[in-house]
Amino acid sequence: MKSDSDIANFFGFLILRVWLGIRALITGIEKFSGSRSSEVAVNVDGEPNSYGLTADASDKVYGFSHYGGVPEALYKQLADEPLIPEFALKIYDIILGPVLILSGIALLLGLATRYSLLAMGLVYSSLTVGLILLKQDGGIAWLAIHVLLAAVALFNVRHNRFAVISKL
Amino acid sequence: MSEETKTNRRDFLRKGSVAGAGLVLGAPAILSAEAKNAPSDELRVGFIGCGKQHEVLFDAMKNIPGMRYTAVADIMKNRLGGSASRIKNMFGDMPGRYFDVEEMLEKEDLDVVFITTPDFWHAPHTVMALEAGCHVYCEKMMSDTLEGARSMVAAMDRTGKLLQIGHQRRSNPRYQFTLDYLINQEKICGQIVNMNGQWNRAVGSSQDISVKESILPDEKTLLKYGFDKGQEGKLSLSDLRHRFVNWRLYKDLSGGPISDLGAHQIDIFNWFMGTQPKSVMASGGRNHFKSREHFDNVMCVFEYDTPEGGARAFYQVLTTTSAGGGYYESFMGTEGTVEISERAAYTNIYREGGCDRSWDPLVQRGILKKVASGQAAGGSDAIASYESAPPDQFELPGGLSKPPHQPHIENFVAAVRGQAKLTCDGRHALESEAPIYWVNPAAENSETIHFTDEHLHV
Repeated sequence: MKSDSDIANFFGFLILRVWLGIRALITGIEKFSGSRSSEVAVNVDGEPNSYGLTADASDKVYGFSHYGGVPEALYKQLADEPLIPEFALKIYDIILGPVLILSGIALLLGLATRYSLLAMGLVYSSLTVGLILLKQDGGIAWLAIHVLLAAVALFNVRHNRFAVISKL
Repeated sequence: MSEETKTNRRDFLRKGSVAGAGLVLGAPAILSAEAKNAPSDELRVGFIGCGKQHEVLFDAMKNIPGMRYTAVADIMKNRLGGSASRIKNMFGDMPGRYFDVEEMLEKEDLDVVFITTPDFWHAPHTVMALEAGCHVYCEKMMSDTLEGARSMVAAMDRTGKLLQIGHQRRSNPRYQFTLDYLINQEKICGQIVNMNGQWNRAVGSSQDISVKESILPDEKTLLKYGFDKGQEGKLSLSDLRHRFVNWRLYKDLSGGPISDLGAHQIDIFNWFMGTQPKSVMASGGRNHFKSREHFDNVMCVFEYDTPEGGARAFYQVLTTTSAGGGYYESFMGTEGTVEISERAAYTNIYREGGCDRSWDPLVQRGILKKVASGQAAGGSDAIASYESAPPDQFELPGGLSKPPHQPHIENFVAAVRGQAKLTCDGRHALESEAPIYWVNPAAENSETIHFTDEHLHV
């Protein structure tokens, strides 16, 4: 029978794994989100108005057409940075969302947890590069917390259970 | 292509004013509906200029059906490639790419072109495109000079092609509804005595733009395309590149903040009042950005003759402060005020507390939505005899569910197809823009300019 300490270590690691997995998965999915405005014409004098005035409402929607890896404003700032080649930025923009989703799913399911954590830590580190160039210290500190959490998880990966592929 | 189209660019820029003035004829404005040879199928679209405003327009038009994006032109390779890639990614076909506008107009069979180049290139590019047989959508200001703008109207008349100017509020349903229903039909403002407009922008948003040197055009290209205008032979490559990226800061290349930002809103004053102002007085300063050629803040007052007894409009553009409600145009009358903005969040409508007429029937008909009844501010510092009855607050019954530029482009496309009339053809745009050209001179000379036909004629 496992000791109380083993169970606590397992729960501790599980919570960390779930948090990091959800964080990456939802962040990745949100990169496919956008808004769709109402196109219902409002009534004036009992008839739909002829001007094109629509009800003030918009719905949040998801789809490939809404995808944006690096937020637009940030992308433009990064594109002007001499140390960031534009082709690399384009590739990064395309893969960021899918990488976050895949690493999030892998972590939640326990698919090669070590490599998933490594990938996640590298993604957060890579995001830091751009923010260092743009001197966004708050964002750098925020990402550093994520990197630390990924590192702490790796240090404690021996407590991993409920993993589909536990060897890696 | 005609000889006139092939006019040397540099000559055009230098002599444009003389040529433009001589070409103003009394031909009727070509507004469209009967546009000759209006294509019925796909419109072949060309873009002249692939910078930031091009992106704004492209984002606003990409959902409009029946457009084939055929060619793009820009002197900056990076922007040219970016624009072409976006079009290919979205629509599958790679458009023709050109560094030279004349070459694009010669080689491509285009129906319409969209011009989003720096202001001092608007007139040459518009005239070239009209002469090449294209209908043109050109961003405002029409030109950096009144003479340039006049040459655009002359070319429009001469060629019979359509020219839409990018005062996109004129096609915005919120503005159209406000003018037609609220101001003209229901007269909710009563007598409009004052107008007040502003665009307040923070220092942080008004800084010089910097772009990495490696992707900017070389010296030969910048000289060929006139970025040394007014300073020929005096500029280093660094100077030229700064003028290329920051052309809005230079007097020889643009009209400064009053035309970059103010033109949209002063156009609304003139459109809503249905007339041109009779005078302008202005004050401006370089109080924060001390080394800039243009004023960093300008305040001006236009006076109007109206059937009700006259009105005046105050307008300010600040590049040093964002507080104060952003950007809006306010029509202030004896019974109510409409404060309208392209941003719905900055739009407010007020009914004067002392107004005899109830607006409840307007709410019941769906013309207005009531937001709140007027409430006195109260407090120990309130002195009753100083206070007016608090106004009730209302809002428009609906909004715009598209990008703000989309209805204006849709109007242009419909006009090209012979299905609509342009909402801002070159002639009407110039009638509205002409007074704006006199704000900077009025401020520079600290004088009131009383407009004559010489100042305002098209």
